[in-house]
Amino acid sequence: MIWKRQIPILIATVIGFATLFGWFIDHPGIESFVNDDATQWYDILASFAIFLGALNLMKLQGKKVFKQQSGWQYSLFAIGGFFFAIVAGFIYKGNDAVEWGVHVTSKGTLFKWMFDYMFTPLSATMFALLAFFVASASYRAFRVRNLEATLLLVSGIIIMVGRVPLGSSISSWFIMYLMVLIVSIAVNIKLKDKKITFSTFLGGVLIVTIWGSSLGWPIDQPGLFYLPILQDWIYNNPNVAGARAIMIGIGLGIFATSIRYILGIEKSYIGE
Amino acid sequence: MDKISDYILKAGTIDRRWIFLIIGLAVLLPLFFPLGLPIRATNATQKVYDAVEALEENSKVLVSFEYGPSTKPEIHPMAIGLLRHLFTNGHKVFVTCLWPDGQFMADEALDEVAKEEFDLTYGEDYVILGFRPGNEAVVKGMVSNIRKLYTTDARGTLVDNIPLMKNINKVADFDFIFSASAGYPGTVEWVQYASDPTGVPLSTGTTSIMVNDIMPMVNSGQVKGILAGMPGAAEYEALIGTPGIGTSGMDAQSIAHLVIVLFIIFGNITYFIETQRSKKY
Repeated sequence: MIWKRQIPILIATVIGFATLFGWFIDHPGIESFVNDDATQWYDILASFAIFLGALNLMKLQGKKVFKQQSGWQYSLFAIGGFFFAIVAGFIYKGNDAVEWGVHVTSKGTLFKWMFDYMFTPLSATMFALLAFFVASASYRAFRVRNLEATLLLVSGIIIMVGRVPLGSSISSWFIMYLMVLIVSIAVNIKLKDKKITFSTFLGGVLIVTIWGSSLGWPIDQPGLFYLPILQDWIYNNPNVAGARAIMIGIGLGIFATSIRYILGIEKSYIGE
Repeated sequence: MDKISDYILKAGTIDRRWIFLIIGLAVLLPLFFPLGLPIRATNATQKVYDAVEALEENSKVLVSFEYGPSTKPEIHPMAIGLLRHLFTNGHKVFVTCLWPDGQFMADEALDEVAKEEFDLTYGEDYVILGFRPGNEAVVKGMVSNIRKLYTTDARGTLVDNIPLMKNINKVADFDFIFSASAGYPGTVEWVQYASDPTGVPLSTGTTSIMVNDIMPMVNSGQVKGILAGMPGAAEYEALIGTPGIGTSGMDAQSIAHLVIVLFIIFGNITYFIETQRSKKY
């Protein structure tokens, strides 16, 4: 039990404290440990983790094939791909003029061929499919259900159009006319009075037209209705505020979890 | 009026494969028939350009490639644009990769720009240090001692034998860092472990989805500007005066975004009619 429980906890506690102190104590020994040794230990452990990960992948996929669990055919591709990569990486270069190691990124080798003609198209296809699913999901799920959903929808549309060149070609006056139309529709829905709706619409159009004529219709004025300026404002203000709050929250969470690890309270890494 | 509403509702039950087809066409057609929409640089992009322009000639710039084929359409154009800008201004480029596939991207970008366009010499004008596993530990290791982490470059040459690596021992020896990043490990790690502790200025180019996470650092001045997704790449290309893949992709992205917005508006009209009807009956 001492090897499986107390010793690992002791190692985590000692290394955790040493690494933490490295940021606060100006001592060459501790500093060198944090900056050089600890990072190299991490590199070595990460390399072992890759090895363990590969073994685990084979174990899980192999089990699926042997037991013929649902989707076992896909596992065959996973295993085949794994061994193909091993052959291309360690056994067969495909180009004798290239040294081992460098062959991974050199032209004319099997590994480079695998990357260019198998991995790249597959990877790009998976990511490109997102565009289609985003379009379909936005159409079905992006609804004006309540105030929060409406805010999300409006800011989403402003970002989507304002971020691309098309947005900078849309005049702020066009957006203002659009606003007049939307306000008039809202007035009609709320009051159900044709006279008030018409006068709202006409009044709005007149105000925008007179204002625009007096200023000479500059495309980006007033900035409040120019999509690129609006999207910039959304990015730099509400977005930054939210992102900062999340970052601070995550930071506090990491701090609390790290303290739990260092003090030996959190023991999930030894299976408890 | 009811008939029109019926038609709209019927159209609202459109099979999603039609949506896929329309999006596919919206992306493809502008690629074949470009619209040439004007590109206007945002402040964030302008900051990156200004930061590079502010460097003295022969500055040592560390460029980190942290993306792969899936995010190549967004990040690669900005990496190409940045390398063009750096080489035009006569800077020396050192490339590192936190992602394994980043090295392939770096090779491709440098072959295109350094070798073919500028006819530069490897080891004298630019060097690819390559990929090392360890995520943020690699960044931390580079801050402390690059030579402990990289004994050889990506081509297997001893770092000590590369002329460009003379007097380069740690991150603080560079004048500027640029992180071309599509996720973890990436820009955040470069800010936390390299740029902030050493004071070396850093700019970044990221996927559109990452911009939200990086914006607080741009606002606080920790990151000198950001190239945000493909629009950021197109804006940078416009600033350096060399249109590239980013610019040509902008028309397609503009139309695709417009189509998605139209779908959202149409979806909401059907939703509105449905709720009005359900209230009525």
